[in-house]
Amino acid sequence: MRTNLDRRHFLGLAGLGAGAAALAACGGPSTAGTADAVDTAAIDFTGVKPAASIDFWTNHPGKSQDVEKAIIEKFHPKFPDIKVNLVTAGANYEEIAQKFQTSQAAKTGLPGLVVLSDVWWFRYFSNGSIIPIDGLVKQLDIKIDDFQKSLVDDYKYDDKQWALPYGRSTPLFYYNKDHFKAAGLPDRAPATWQEFAEWAPKLKATSGAQYAYIYPALAGYAGWTLQNNLWGWGGSWSKDWDITCDSKESVAALQWAQDSIYKDAWAGVSSKEAADDFAAGITSSTISSTGSLLGVLKAAKFNVGVGFLPGGPEVPSGVCPTGGAGLGIPSGITKEEQLAAATFLKFMTEPENTAAFSAATGYMPTRLSADMSAVLAATPQIKTAMDQLAATKVQDNARVFLPGADQEMAKSAAKILTQQGDVQATMTELKKTLEGIYTKDVKPKLKA
Amino acid sequence: MTAPLIHNSSTAPADRLPASPSAPPAPASKPGPERHRWSGRSRKDFLVFLAMALPNLVLIGTFTYWPLINNIYYSTLDWTLGSASATVVGLQNYVTFFTSEDASKVLGTTAVFTLITVGGSMVLGLLVALALNSKVRGTTFARSAVFAPYVLSGVGVGLVWLFIFDPGYGVLAWILRGMGQQSPQWINDPQLSLVMVIIVYIWKNLGYCAVVYLAGLQSLPRDVMEAAALDGANGLRRFLNISLPLLSPTTFFLLITTMLSSLQAFDLIRIMTPLGNGTSTLIYEAYLQAFGAYNRAGYSAAISVVLFAILLVITVLQLRFVERKVHYS
Repeated sequence: MRTNLDRRHFLGLAGLGAGAAALAACGGPSTAGTADAVDTAAIDFTGVKPAASIDFWTNHPGKSQDVEKAIIEKFHPKFPDIKVNLVTAGANYEEIAQKFQTSQAAKTGLPGLVVLSDVWWFRYFSNGSIIPIDGLVKQLDIKIDDFQKSLVDDYKYDDKQWALPYGRSTPLFYYNKDHFKAAGLPDRAPATWQEFAEWAPKLKATSGAQYAYIYPALAGYAGWTLQNNLWGWGGSWSKDWDITCDSKESVAALQWAQDSIYKDAWAGVSSKEAADDFAAGITSSTISSTGSLLGVLKAAKFNVGVGFLPGGPEVPSGVCPTGGAGLGIPSGITKEEQLAAATFLKFMTEPENTAAFSAATGYMPTRLSADMSAVLAATPQIKTAMDQLAATKVQDNARVFLPGADQEMAKSAAKILTQQGDVQATMTELKKTLEGIYTKDVKPKLKA
Repeated sequence: MTAPLIHNSSTAPADRLPASPSAPPAPASKPGPERHRWSGRSRKDFLVFLAMALPNLVLIGTFTYWPLINNIYYSTLDWTLGSASATVVGLQNYVTFFTSEDASKVLGTTAVFTLITVGGSMVLGLLVALALNSKVRGTTFARSAVFAPYVLSGVGVGLVWLFIFDPGYGVLAWILRGMGQQSPQWINDPQLSLVMVIIVYIWKNLGYCAVVYLAGLQSLPRDVMEAAALDGANGLRRFLNISLPLLSPTTFFLLITTMLSSLQAFDLIRIMTPLGNGTSTLIYEAYLQAFGAYNRAGYSAAISVVLFAILLVITVLQLRFVERKVHYS
């Protein structure tokens, strides 16, 4: 008996250990009470020579691999001493964050430049994983004033600039022009959700599509797109650091969304990617990122219309959140690598390159001086995304600054929109969860 | 499959008995008992043993046990993944886990997933093995076809099945629409998500159980079966009273391996339900807490240790109690 027991224990332990190895192999933290914050005063790049090679970690937002390659190919002749390696570091912002955080913990294999999304950059900042780029901006003469102010300000904290905008987007209302025409509706996005609620039955009756509208996939970024509904009804996920998802207004907004699915039965919920569902003709309309625009235009076999996000009964306009990703420089690499990364960052965000990126994806150009005339001539729908920028609003703190809040919001939204859960009870529960995250993970790290 | 050997610990060899304290010491000039002799041959054998085993032991120690010990240490830290610093919190992560609402959900999901996938894979595997054991044409192809999903990548399998289950444009939805029915929300509804993952997991793994059971069925003694048939036992009775008990070593082996495998199932859950909404088993919860959006590495390590303890207890219980009911001959 003993021989077999030992052997099996041994095998069992070996299997278990393999699972634990993934975490443990990351390297350990210091428990000596050292602070995470980067010593910004120590970053002086005077006399530093850029490294010969850096990695650029990206998830190719908006299927941008080709345009990223093209920009890097343009970079190399201009800066022959710096080689940029394009690395696919994940399929989405979460996967790239996972790889980055793991490398950070392992203290090895970090990139020079990394794509960081709206919900991740603050985490990197609070962990001391990225450096403020103010010194590099000055040294390399990056024209910060020429960036879209609202987009560049999203990465400001503690009077320092922690990243620059890259693939920045807003949600956009996508609609099937053919379906709208067949239903006798005007060729535009609805001004408010109430207006759309009047249109929806006509669309459902005439289009042949499964839904008049499909809510974006909850496993994606439900917390992002549902802000539009919450704001339109006068609610929000949070106001500053006060969690308000259980307010009367927030509950009313989500109750209306639930009714559109179960009571009025003209809406559905996407399982994977609403833009794909829309392009496949499953729904007459949806909201999705501007970064999906070019993909939708290519895939759809019908006339695609885009418009601003609808308002709500309390706030009829200006209820669109910004989103997307920026580019940051890790703290755990050499100054030479940081300087090389900043050189590439400057090039990547030059007006002509942001225009090329925008043309290839649908993301908004981040530079004011970007010449978009050729891009808009080819894809006039991008103009709607650009115009909507003036009507955007900074996202609720709860969604972008609380670790895991986006996932908790998605789970709550799933309970409401796919299981017909009680809205008030679900939001009360969510509030408790979010407050717990704030108290444990964020409040201790905030400056007084 | 070879049946494990049983050693009777009550009949220990005489040379393992401790020497009597009253026994006079052996004269120094005389050689000791033969077992203590370090002859040239045994030294050589030992060196060969070391040469063969040491590299593996070093690798296992480095990549299995050292991380395991580290993981236990991390479970005592309040550590945000990516952060260079952490605070020692003792057993607080365990207290947090066991007092949170998540614990009952995660443990419940783990239990449901494990019991159904283990039971489903084994029962269906046995039925398939019985079918494949019959002498009809095409069984060779059928065996390959049944076993094929087991060797496929979990990622690929997950993606294909996601397409089948997609309520919008999936194959299943298309069939249901043809019958005038709406597709269930397999992906968005947490309960249905668990059902979906369980179905795919069983589909992928029943081939393994089937092949192992088939090997067991083919090694059953024919004379016993023939004698039972001559005594008038029908097929069901022969199966229940003879085949099934004689298959108990195979069942025991499968019970251990499939249970360990189910408790550590990851790829399908990760691909089909990335948020783990309704499908967060212990191992997936550990992953989500550390590498998902929360970055609670210390808390995740504590969950991993809980999983480790559960696996250890299950394995020991199986070996101590279940194995006693196993017939090895």
